[in-house]
Amino acid sequence: MTGAGTAIWGVGTSAFGKQTSLGGPRLAWQATVEALDDAGLQASDIEAVYAGTVFGDPGTVTRCLQQIGIVEVPVITIENACASGTSAFHEARESVEMGRYERVLAFGIETMTAHFDGAISPIASDPDGAQGYAMPSIYGMSATRYKYEFGVTDEQMAEVAVKNRRHAMGNPRAQHHKTVTVEQVLGSRMVADPITLFQCCSIADAAAAAVIGPLGGSQDPRGEVVIRSSALRSGRLWDHTTDKVWGWDIVADTAARAYDDAGVSVGDIDVFEVHDAFTIGEIITTEALGLCELGEGGRLVESGHTSLGGLQPVNPSGGLLSRGHPLGATGLAQIAEIVWQLRDMAADRQVPGARLGAVETMGGGTAGIDGNACVVTVLEQVG
Amino acid sequence: MTSLTTTPPERAGADPRPELAIHEGRVLLTGSRCGDCGYPQAINPPRCPICGSHAIATATFGPKGTVFSSTVLRIPVPDRTPPFTLAYVDVDEGPRILAHVDGPDEALVPGSEVVLSGWSEHGDPVVRRSGP
Repeated sequence: MTGAGTAIWGVGTSAFGKQTSLGGPRLAWQATVEALDDAGLQASDIEAVYAGTVFGDPGTVTRCLQQIGIVEVPVITIENACASGTSAFHEARESVEMGRYERVLAFGIETMTAHFDGAISPIASDPDGAQGYAMPSIYGMSATRYKYEFGVTDEQMAEVAVKNRRHAMGNPRAQHHKTVTVEQVLGSRMVADPITLFQCCSIADAAAAAVIGPLGGSQDPRGEVVIRSSALRSGRLWDHTTDKVWGWDIVADTAARAYDDAGVSVGDIDVFEVHDAFTIGEIITTEALGLCELGEGGRLVESGHTSLGGLQPVNPSGGLLSRGHPLGATGLAQIAEIVWQLRDMAADRQVPGARLGAVETMGGGTAGIDGNACVVTVLEQVG
Repeated sequence: MTSLTTTPPERAGADPRPELAIHEGRVLLTGSRCGDCGYPQAINPPRCPICGSHAIATATFGPKGTVFSSTVLRIPVPDRTPPFTLAYVDVDEGPRILAHVDGPDEALVPGSEVVLSGWSEHGDPVVRRSGP
């Protein structure tokens, strides 16, 4: 599907962290006002809102946006697990691409500390969740499988956390601003064998937003970032017929579609923000995105290819491992990071000369399927 | 650590967990198999998700299976006391299910042979290691 083109006009985020006392609306105002200012728009200019939130109370999104004047418009809330924010982005982009609206807010919010003290509680209506299965278990099992099948080492997994925490030193909005060593990562307490605490993202409260409109239609088109493509899908059945770990195929399938629609190959992309909820997740995802072959993800991170200064940096923001993971906000925070990278605004974490970037978010929690949803979008600097 | 009972639990309401039953002294998984394409499942839906056939027949699977992967969950979750061992098990000729593992708090090596053994104190399906 191609029209004259769709662009991101502006982005904004709150800080990321455990900030229960702020509540949803204040986080939302920070993100939304920044995005509107960045786009040069007033709240009254927004024609529709697509929002992502998972654990929010009924009415969360309208409650967050009404008092800054985003009213009398369609407000559509989407739940797609960890990919809720990018799903909202995807639908916002589609609505512009199809000519339905011209100034759309994609918005994501989550106040995790209002709901959880630690890991997300298992979903009691799910065949796996009803067994007390929490999200770290699936990543623990992926890691066990990768050690067995491909010889991925604990040190290679730890290196993902070391890299992303190092990257976050340049990101003032991240939750964690402290580097860690491989020894510290592996010495932190075990959560789901072989995944240790420092290999798990923290919960967080945050909001993030992007204003989307026709390419060239904003007040300052030089600040626009082109949405070359966006793909969204649910997973295949994940069953006894596959030897792939959970979440591999959905990322590969979604990425293939996004690259194809954008007319690019993975080698063209300068910078990535990907779903590193757990260290093994980034290893699997970099493989599925095509940055290396199946089973080579551990060696890829070890090689420095995905570090700042490497050929294709992954998670220059520090990723979920440093930012924390406010589910609905995460995808739009990833989008914001790539927009800043493509505008050369990322300061100490800037990937020099980045022109093409990609965002990947994958959400799960449903037994028997290879992910509830995955979004991959390819973004490009204007000009 | 997972406790093990061979007394079938009461399945309250819409319990979504894989259902085990004892047949002639063996613990088997109750599910379904597509009469057209043979696709096995731990549930019994009205149509086959693979070929669309309506010919879904109740079937039992097991008791043997092979571990796809495993972990020990060491953080607290509601109603359960950590640590406990979990595994995805490909039941012989049947579906892949999640199960608790009876034994020490150690993840099973993928490829390990297991046997369906009964239920945890919470009514979760339980497997134990049966071979290499």
